[in-house]
Amino acid sequence: MSTGDIQPVLRVRDLSIEFATEEGIVPAVDRVSFDVLPNETLGLVGESGCGKTVTGLSILRLIPMPPGRIAGGSIELNGRDLVPLAARDIEDVRGRDISMIFQEPMTALNPVFTIGSQMVDVLRRHRDLSRREARAVAAEMLAKVNIPEPASRLDDYPHQLSGGMRQRVMIAMALSCKPQLLIADEPTTALDVTTQAQVLEQIRGLQAEFRMAVILVTHDLGVVAETCRRAVVMYCGSIVESGTVEELFGHPRHPYTAGLLASIPRLRRERLPELPVIPGRVPDLLALPTGCRFADRCPRVQDRCRLERPALVAAGSGGSQVACHYPL
Amino acid sequence: MELLQYSLRKLLGGIPLVIGVTLVSFALMVYFGPDQTYLLLGKNPTPEQILEVRQQLGYDQPFITRYLGFLREIVTLDFGAASTGEPVMDLLAKTMPVSLILILPGFILGHVVGLMMALAAAYWRGRWLDKLIMAIAVVGMSISFLIVIIGFQILLSSSDGLDLFPVRGWNASTFADYLTYVTVPTLATMFVAVGYETRFYRSILVEEMSRDHVRTARAFGLPESRIFVRNILKNCLIPIITRIMFSIPQVAIGGALLIESYFGIPGVGKATYEAIVTGDQPVLKAVVSLTAILFVLVVILTDILYRAVDPRVTLK
Repeated sequence: MSTGDIQPVLRVRDLSIEFATEEGIVPAVDRVSFDVLPNETLGLVGESGCGKTVTGLSILRLIPMPPGRIAGGSIELNGRDLVPLAARDIEDVRGRDISMIFQEPMTALNPVFTIGSQMVDVLRRHRDLSRREARAVAAEMLAKVNIPEPASRLDDYPHQLSGGMRQRVMIAMALSCKPQLLIADEPTTALDVTTQAQVLEQIRGLQAEFRMAVILVTHDLGVVAETCRRAVVMYCGSIVESGTVEELFGHPRHPYTAGLLASIPRLRRERLPELPVIPGRVPDLLALPTGCRFADRCPRVQDRCRLERPALVAAGSGGSQVACHYPL
Repeated sequence: MELLQYSLRKLLGGIPLVIGVTLVSFALMVYFGPDQTYLLLGKNPTPEQILEVRQQLGYDQPFITRYLGFLREIVTLDFGAASTGEPVMDLLAKTMPVSLILILPGFILGHVVGLMMALAAAYWRGRWLDKLIMAIAVVGMSISFLIVIIGFQILLSSSDGLDLFPVRGWNASTFADYLTYVTVPTLATMFVAVGYETRFYRSILVEEMSRDHVRTARAFGLPESRIFVRNILKNCLIPIITRIMFSIPQVAIGGALLIESYFGIPGVGKATYEAIVTGDQPVLKAVVSLTAILFVLVVILTDILYRAVDPRVTLK
């Protein structure tokens, strides 16, 4: 993906991740490359099991190792490769340079500690603050995510907050050490629709204030369209298409992207007899075809697709990339 | 206030439990237990003597009268005299402390060592140390307690072994004596307990480690060792409290029958065992009812402790 002259915050190159299972080695992520520019939001899109979450987790080396393993590639944060870092050094990066928020706000916070104590722990881990100073910063952060009476909320336990509030506490905690990059793994999936919008708005507002980049891992194309500038579409462990959101949604080049877009239900359009679906199933990661991984489900499949795996190549003039022999 | 109300309500709720437990055990000892009449009378008693003794023992009364008498004894905590003539409460006051100081060191060490081994196993889970520790635990669990006792006696107390400690007996008049007599039983108890405790602690630790909030703590750069000691251990307190609290009635009243009989230690376990075989009902009644009452108290205390360690728990 071309990024012009701006230095990316994060540069992922040929990242491959494998999991050792009883049945064999599962290549969960296969030579994935993308850049995240300062202050931009990059969408990482795909259906469950496509490797988007594993990619997000592996940036902070949070996949369980073993059985997981970074089989190759590099993850450069401002030019410094995180893959070979010692455990202690990657711990320093987590929460300070790169923060992460998760899908399940209900379980992501420790139930037996107050949110204040959890936030203070993180602050004091990365910043040289006294307990009292850390509490003050924590309260300030809660105020930034619009939690009323932040100082007294610090003494609440997670179960005393609603799901949306907990997710905002997570955001406050994630931003408390002013990271350059926030990885948000399905941050709104577990929330109801109105809360979703609030939480996304919150992330967007704080992104501008903190001047940080965001990787939004999601299966929700609506969320991507609303919040991201560029997006990467993953299928079966590798990238099938990437580009600006306008390009992806306006002129999807990969049949998979086109299929995903077609299968979004729309309210204001004439009623279709049936919602279009992508036929077939995602191939088993243990028995991947030699050719294109989407070939069995693709409406435009040719002989070549089954024999030769397409590489990710530039397409169009807008900096898009697509991995398809016969792009749309 | 909430605490007091809760405790009172639970105490009242415990009454049916005590009644149920005592009723069943009393029926068992009356209809299936040994009859003391012949034990007391010796050979060839006359029918008059038999009648007299049965009257003394209260065996001639109908079951319900005797059971009501038992309930009265529970309320007044006066269980009369054992067949030796010694008041039951004196007997218990004499034997219970012996059992307690006999079992406690092994009990505590079993938990502490088990927890340490489990922490190491869980921290390096799937690695060779984990496998080694769990193998040791299974071996410890698989060896019969009797063999463990005899093994330690041979190793530490016999002339074939180190000959450091007395084989049997009990003397706790000075601390040095106490240590001499308590060491071998403690090692034996520990050896058996450690396997079970390690497995228990490892399983709850590993379960807790897979929780989302642990991943969150990791994602924010908290070091693994700190996550273990501070977060995971506190989250595990509920099953730990449950396990420890529910062993208390057994430790306090049940004693360790095998240990006490093999080492010839005059503890409550041995006294209970003797009361069972001779049908000494006053002693049995006391042990059964006190265990039931202690159990009710432990349940209440356990709930209160839950409340203290987990803010989500409410006392209702």
